[in-house]
Amino acid sequence: MRAAFWRLSATKLHPMPITPEHAGRTYPPAPAYRVSRAKIAEFAVALKDDNPAYFNEAPIAPPTFAAVIAAQAWGALFGDDELGLALSRTVHADQVFDFHRPLREGDDVTAQLTIEKVRVRGNLDMVTIHVALSVDGEPVCDARSTLMHTKEAADA
Amino acid sequence: MPDIQPGDILGELRVPVTRFDVVRYSGASTDFNEIHFSDRRAKAIGLPGVLAHGMWTMGAGLKLVTDWAGDPGRVTRYRVRFTRPVVVPDTDEGTEVVYTGTVTDVVDGLATVNLTATCENAEVLGAARAEVRID
Repeated sequence: MRAAFWRLSATKLHPMPITPEHAGRTYPPAPAYRVSRAKIAEFAVALKDDNPAYFNEAPIAPPTFAAVIAAQAWGALFGDDELGLALSRTVHADQVFDFHRPLREGDDVTAQLTIEKVRVRGNLDMVTIHVALSVDGEPVCDARSTLMHTKEAADA
Repeated sequence: MPDIQPGDILGELRVPVTRFDVVRYSGASTDFNEIHFSDRRAKAIGLPGVLAHGMWTMGAGLKLVTDWAGDPGRVTRYRVRFTRPVVVPDTDEGTEVVYTGTVTDVVDGLATVNLTATCENAEVLGAARAEVRID
């Protein structure tokens, strides 16, 4: 009993690092994100993009707005204690979007994250994640990111 | 979109970026990583200073493609590698990212556009490519 308790505590203090075997792990989706006209306009202005499609009566979102919603699902990954990943030690190495249709004002977008691939090279973890964005079950965008994570010195 | 050929040039897009713009993107994207507003935090992890968001650099450059295509809804795929950070000095001028684009392929109503992005003469995006429906 005591040994089991100790092991549990040790796991929490010194989590096992992420391994290639974590590929395939999927998390429950983040709460649906409602796309609003104001947020579309704010985002387009921040990109310095004045395309009328973002400012008309029935606006679509700039394509890379998908990243804002995908990022809502990242919390599940960094909140998974078993992986020992820290956002502050993570660099975004590459990003791919496959767009099935534009995001529109009023869409309630669900974002679900799956770990697709893990490569470990010494102190570096290269983690490819897939966030599937959907509206009422219809796929709207697949966002894939490769994250480069540096382990804490103690884990190396 | 009539008569798109491999080799077509999309021209050049120059986007100035100041600390104001970086803060504005933090709010719009809700990415409040401190390296995007604090030199102290950026330097603590070995960076030269406040950086623009990689996703800003990716997103701002797509304007070159969507202005050319007219309708941003025509973009079916967009990928980049983040090769170097865009360092944004705390000056009135800030810095500038320069984008160029070239059509490399036209197949089955889909055009592939290769993009380059440079800041202070260094490439900041690698293998940047957008696919656009042109039928």
